[in-house]
Amino acid sequence: MPEPSTQVSYSRPVPEAGGAAQAAPEVVDAVFDIADLNFWYGANRALRDVSLRIGRQEITALIGPSGCGKTTFLRCLNRMNDLLPDTRIEGRLDFDGEPLYRPGVQAIEIRRRIGMVFQKPNPFPKSIYDNVAIAPKVNGMKVNLDDLVEESLSRAALWNEVKDKLKQSAFSLSGGQQQRLCIARTIAVKPEVILMDEPCSALDPLATIRIEELMTELKSDYTIVIVTHNMQQAARVSDRTAFFTVEDHPEGRSGVLVESGPTHKIFTAPSDQRTDDYITGRFG
Amino acid sequence: MTSVAERPAGRTASGLSARARAISELTGRDRAVRAVLFVAALVPTAALAFLVYEMIKQAYPAIIFNGWSFFTTKKFTMGNLYGNVVVKHGYQAAQGADFGVLPLLFGTLVSSLIALVLAVPVAVGGAILLVEKVPARLQGALGVFLELLAGIPSIVFGLWGIYTFGPLLSRTVYRWIAALGIPWLSGSTGAGEGLLTASVVLAVMIIPIVASIARELVRSVPAVSKEGAVALGLTPTETIRFVTIPYVRTGLIAAAVLGWARALGETIAVLVISGDALNIYPHSIFDPFSTMAATIAAFLDSALTDSTGMAIHALAEVGLVLLAVTFLTNLGGRLLARRFSDAGLPVGRGV
Repeated sequence: MPEPSTQVSYSRPVPEAGGAAQAAPEVVDAVFDIADLNFWYGANRALRDVSLRIGRQEITALIGPSGCGKTTFLRCLNRMNDLLPDTRIEGRLDFDGEPLYRPGVQAIEIRRRIGMVFQKPNPFPKSIYDNVAIAPKVNGMKVNLDDLVEESLSRAALWNEVKDKLKQSAFSLSGGQQQRLCIARTIAVKPEVILMDEPCSALDPLATIRIEELMTELKSDYTIVIVTHNMQQAARVSDRTAFFTVEDHPEGRSGVLVESGPTHKIFTAPSDQRTDDYITGRFG
Repeated sequence: MTSVAERPAGRTASGLSARARAISELTGRDRAVRAVLFVAALVPTAALAFLVYEMIKQAYPAIIFNGWSFFTTKKFTMGNLYGNVVVKHGYQAAQGADFGVLPLLFGTLVSSLIALVLAVPVAVGGAILLVEKVPARLQGALGVFLELLAGIPSIVFGLWGIYTFGPLLSRTVYRWIAALGIPWLSGSTGAGEGLLTASVVLAVMIIPIVASIARELVRSVPAVSKEGAVALGLTPTETIRFVTIPYVRTGLIAAAVLGWARALGETIAVLVISGDALNIYPHSIFDPFSTMAATIAAFLDSALTDSTGMAIHALAEVGLVLLAVTFLTNLGGRLLARRFSDAGLPVGRGV
């Protein structure tokens, strides 16, 4: 593994670059191609002119201070914001070359292709087995459910811990296990992308490490976008990092994308002073 | 008065800091509050014990007089209150008196169960619709209607059932049902009184109870849990089925039991609508019938004229059976709720 730059300042988290190869300077194969994206909650412009390309089978970390719009941005990617009343979105957001918000695009269909893992583990109030099997079943996937459940739980590194108690309630699991169950549930519908909204914020350090290892393993098959407040985590797992911040505008506060690029570059040689301030802990 | 409730009971003050000791010491006012709360907590228990005791005392002569035939006799008649007196097992009763609770027990259970089957889906469906689909402002207004419905006196429901709703149903819906020719659901649909009308009116009466609890339960389902289903590409209907309903299931059982208890005990509305048939089983769902509560109300006046007193004792025995049925449904509901709550649900363990 190539060591990152040696000119790292004392407080800078050291990126591990996630794998053998470091990310290319530019995204070559973009799953999401976003340009000038704006998002409003009522009259409040939560995102201002965000442009970002998200690479296929890469882990992209979205970092930034609270209220910078990173979660809002993440939820635009699988149209979760559709559920909220009185919101508006403008700009380009292409998924696999197709506009995600074009009339006629079925949000439900999109969400099967773009999975999401939440801040707090949120398993269904059902058995462990059902948690994984429900979505494939109702989506009409033509598969052997038992095999799919085993495969998904194995990929989520949970199978060995739960294989003897699949009929038990998902709530009998620990927080870290529940979160891996939620990842297994997401994998089971065979998405192309997994969005993760601070997936480790409710977990202890050991459970966090397991989830991070899991992300690195899943990268070979999935595109992962992760929102995190933990900069060490962003540095450890992601290939690319996008730094958001809050700007004051006459009409209110808005989230903006300051810069994005290969994680080692963002963490070692950011081009914007605000990024450097945030990463070194002088701000945020 | 949270300070009383929060204080760890029975803990010695010796190991505590001076401030903690000061806090843990009861002031005279605390003691007074505690005494009042203790009495208040005791009142319902004492009232129930006294009630059960009185009921058993009143019913005792009838229990001896009737024996087991109380549960096998298919009619309830006080006999000739102005005729001779007969003696059985040492107790006097009017000649021809024959007391059987069976048709009344049957009427009570069947009418309340039909009401429950009709009311629960409407109430739960309505509650889910209200919370998930209706805009917040309209939700409040509809909630007010629900509460108003709960506040309507039952005699009004009874009159509405017998004069307006029942006749309307018997001219329309009942005819269509009867035309299907299903046993027990066919025959003369009558003028609107009878078992089905009473059940439907009971359903209308318990819908607000079940719906208002269901509404609170559905509201308590965490948004993040529903989002989990949405993020998997589940439709709103599937989300309700796999997240909302499992979450509130335990609480819904408790709500249904509460509604059922209301239907079991409802007296005046049923009395007005039932057609008051005491000596026959209904042969169809449209036939007249009676319930235990309605019978007690209907007979009380003439029972007081029974010089042997046995008619009153028999009504007390009916009341005792009604009490027992209510206890049992409550207990059954609790057991059912506990069984379902074994899944370890974080919310909706009960109401």
